[in-house]
Amino acid sequence: FPLLILGITESFGAGIHALNTSQLTDGVINRSKRMMLDTLGVGLLGTRTAVFNKALKYSQLFTSRERSSVWGQSDIILPPHYAAFVNGIAVHSMDFDDTWHPATHPSGAVLPALLALAETLPSQPSGLDLLLAFNVGIEVQGRLMRFSKEAYNIPERFHPPSVVGVMGSAAASAKLLGLSPEQCIHALAIAASSAGAPLANAATQTKPLHIGNAARGGLEAARLAQIGLKGNPAILDLDRGLGVYYKDYSPSAMADSAVRAYKWILEDQDVAFKRIPAHLGMHWVVDAALAAREKLQNAVGKFDLSQIRHVTLRVPPSKYVNCPLPATEHQARHSFQFNACTALLDNKVTVASFGDAQIGRSALKELLGKVSLETPEDNLPSFDKMYCEVEIATHQGPSYTARCDTFYGHWRKPLTLKHLVDKFRVNASSVLCTVGVEGVIDVIGNIERVADCSILGSYLRMTSNQEHLDRMRIL
Amino acid sequence: RAIHKSAVEAPEDTVTASFGKFISEIKPQHLSPVVLHRSKRMVLDSIGVGLIGSTTDVFELALQHCQNMYAPGDSSSVYGHRGIRLSPILAAFVNGVATHSMDFDDTWHPATHPSGAVLPAVLALSDMMPANNKPSGLDFLLAFNVGIEIQGRLLRFSNEAHNIPKRFHPPSVVGTMGSAAACARLLSLDPIQSSHALAIAASLAGAPMANAATQSKPLHIGNASRLGLEAALLASRGLEASPLVLDAVAGVAGFSAFYEDYVPQPLQSPGNDSHMFLLEEQDIGFKRFPAHLGMHWVADAAASVHKILVGVGPGTVSPAQVEDILLRVPKSKYINRPFPESEHEARHSFQFNACTVLLDGEVTVQSFTPAAMNRPDLHALLSRVRLEHPNDNPANFNRMYGEVQLTLVGGDTVKGRCNTFYGHWRNPLSNDSLRKKFRSNAEVVLPSEKVERLIEVVEDLDQLRDCRNLLSQLQ
Repeated sequence: FPLLILGITESFGAGIHALNTSQLTDGVINRSKRMMLDTLGVGLLGTRTAVFNKALKYSQLFTSRERSSVWGQSDIILPPHYAAFVNGIAVHSMDFDDTWHPATHPSGAVLPALLALAETLPSQPSGLDLLLAFNVGIEVQGRLMRFSKEAYNIPERFHPPSVVGVMGSAAASAKLLGLSPEQCIHALAIAASSAGAPLANAATQTKPLHIGNAARGGLEAARLAQIGLKGNPAILDLDRGLGVYYKDYSPSAMADSAVRAYKWILEDQDVAFKRIPAHLGMHWVVDAALAAREKLQNAVGKFDLSQIRHVTLRVPPSKYVNCPLPATEHQARHSFQFNACTALLDNKVTVASFGDAQIGRSALKELLGKVSLETPEDNLPSFDKMYCEVEIATHQGPSYTARCDTFYGHWRKPLTLKHLVDKFRVNASSVLCTVGVEGVIDVIGNIERVADCSILGSYLRMTSNQEHLDRMRIL
Repeated sequence: RAIHKSAVEAPEDTVTASFGKFISEIKPQHLSPVVLHRSKRMVLDSIGVGLIGSTTDVFELALQHCQNMYAPGDSSSVYGHRGIRLSPILAAFVNGVATHSMDFDDTWHPATHPSGAVLPAVLALSDMMPANNKPSGLDFLLAFNVGIEIQGRLLRFSNEAHNIPKRFHPPSVVGTMGSAAACARLLSLDPIQSSHALAIAASLAGAPMANAATQSKPLHIGNASRLGLEAALLASRGLEASPLVLDAVAGVAGFSAFYEDYVPQPLQSPGNDSHMFLLEEQDIGFKRFPAHLGMHWVADAAASVHKILVGVGPGTVSPAQVEDILLRVPKSKYINRPFPESEHEARHSFQFNACTVLLDGEVTVQSFTPAAMNRPDLHALLSRVRLEHPNDNPANFNRMYGEVQLTLVGGDTVKGRCNTFYGHWRNPLSNDSLRKKFRSNAEVVLPSEKVERLIEVVEDLDQLRDCRNLLSQLQ
């Protein structure tokens, strides 16, 4: 039926319901598989963090007839909502997950919900069903973010995954459940009442819960809609609906999903994958710092901290990633200064850079004391437009400056498949045995041909012998 | 229990830290007789509306959801449902849904529904505590009052909060925080854990007004209750969040995200002195019928018109007599509904409530049944209603009025005006009236002996050594 007569929310309900596997293009399949693999890798690594453990202990208060896996745990199962919760937390626990433009972390809000839900269904979805639902969840997020100009910049009020992530999770879950168009509308409406977490909790231990809560809130909304709960069927149309999360709000209908060639946003706009477990902005400053360091080294013959008189960082204005002296890993992941100095000190920034001992190093603190930030007017707080410049002023006199416009891993300069898989292997191997690691790579790589995606769950539970032994020793 | 050491030391002079300190240090002796009296009235009314609310469709749906998802948690009671027990979080959820299911629960100024967000969580948590360590009635009342006080304090941080809401539904904003505070108090969390409980709760707060007047609205209170409890439980396990969540930090929104203007104030800890609870200065409004508070003004205004026309005995106004019905009310989109289509919309309709009173002399629980809603006479009257929004009638529960002007066929006009309806904080329900409301609600699901016992137990709550006597009467 013609879209003109549908309201905006109605068009989303219709679209979520109608999109089908034949509309998945090669481009979208390829990109979304990369997202799924990366998300599983960072999630597995994240299951060894303190925040994940707190959430897991808490979630184990609940039992249910339905059982869903906890990634990287061979024998813990949880009610699906709580599995989505803890796995989502794992994904975002180290700020290592994918980032999109306009800004959000799209995959962590969707994949944990889908996998948890899939395990409860009476007949197991195929890999293609999973892939379709995943892409519906991503697509809806992308569409919603285009409803406001505010969304295009680095956020200041609400943390975007908490706004659009829960909506994406609801859409994806509704898709996998095969809800009617009307039920899809209500899933979105119910999810909206769980949206919105303030940015102040970014750079704290609670930030990962924003993704965990998005995943579980969306799943719950879809299940409530399935049993008939209703909300406002114009939730996306109204300023006092989803519009409450934005200062400017101009929604538009979802494109006609009945066409053979549906234009997915992911096809036009890729995601960025991180090489460093830190806020996306840090990737620019690290690449610039490494380049400046190399210039100094090439000019002088060797790199020595004592040469450095002052370091100036030219960055976009964004308060929550301006942290001169971080005290926790969470703050360190959200600090231009910390990441630049770590790069200068160690000539690299890795997963290990954020441990307490590393953060507390006196050499690092001394260097941090020499850093100042500038926010040039032409440096816009947008992941599509920002740059970072690092200027090292030496005692000897000369300064060495380098600038990064596009870091490797950004959507303009995507990670090669090899590097993406390498990142996954390193992350996953910290938790899974080789069979599990290679199994996940294989299943995701061929997901459009997988008949029964429960095999993925089995691989995600194949912890390594060492892990198993360690845990047995503790017991 | 191990002494909690936070990785992030919150500076002591922040608003956030002052709230954490207050929650941790407030004691039963700080509760004045007036506050004890008023809060016991709130506890009684809240239980009553929760009991009758447990017979609604939306409650049934929420309960089914919880039972589908989860195995019986066997610790916490569900209002009015013997033999059903749920885990504390889910009990808080369904009981909160019950409380708000008919919009029959208390309202405060600045506007929110304070008790429904707090009481279910405090009850559920008390149920969860081991048999040999149940809170006393006074501990229970203290926790309840902390939950109310924190809500009141937060509402005073912005001018926006003083008016009928347009963006976020207040219980979803301050209610979640109040529940977290109350549970932190009952769990005896230390000041730092208490402030983290608030910060974690902030990331779970906020639902858009668009879902008011829909079936999802009651979930706002259910969620506030359960998520606040969850926040406190997570904080008790050591989860940390922003130490500045209540403070105003430029460029990074915390709790301020939910308001356009925001000026936070620290909360003084009482030490050895007394503390002036807001409830002492500003009483609560209790509803006489299950509809949005604004409806009570037009109902009382319409009642005086009805009385004039038909005398004191039961009689009715015939649509044939009526030429025109003019309502002079404040401007508020979500309670202006000329032809409501569901019970939820009808509870949020000046027009519906005025016309119901013109026909029946009063609005009751029965006025929202399908039979009552579909009456031809009612529809005839509804089609004769028009609204005016005089400049001197602000959308503010402390200053608004309601006026009903009936023009009869033939030209005579009859006018009624209500400045302060019976039940408003300026004209509070007598204890007799409150008990009458309670009996009428509770007797729908409980035998009269239990009903009378509940009245007694709540009356003596501050003397109760062990709140089990309260907990055991609710089903």
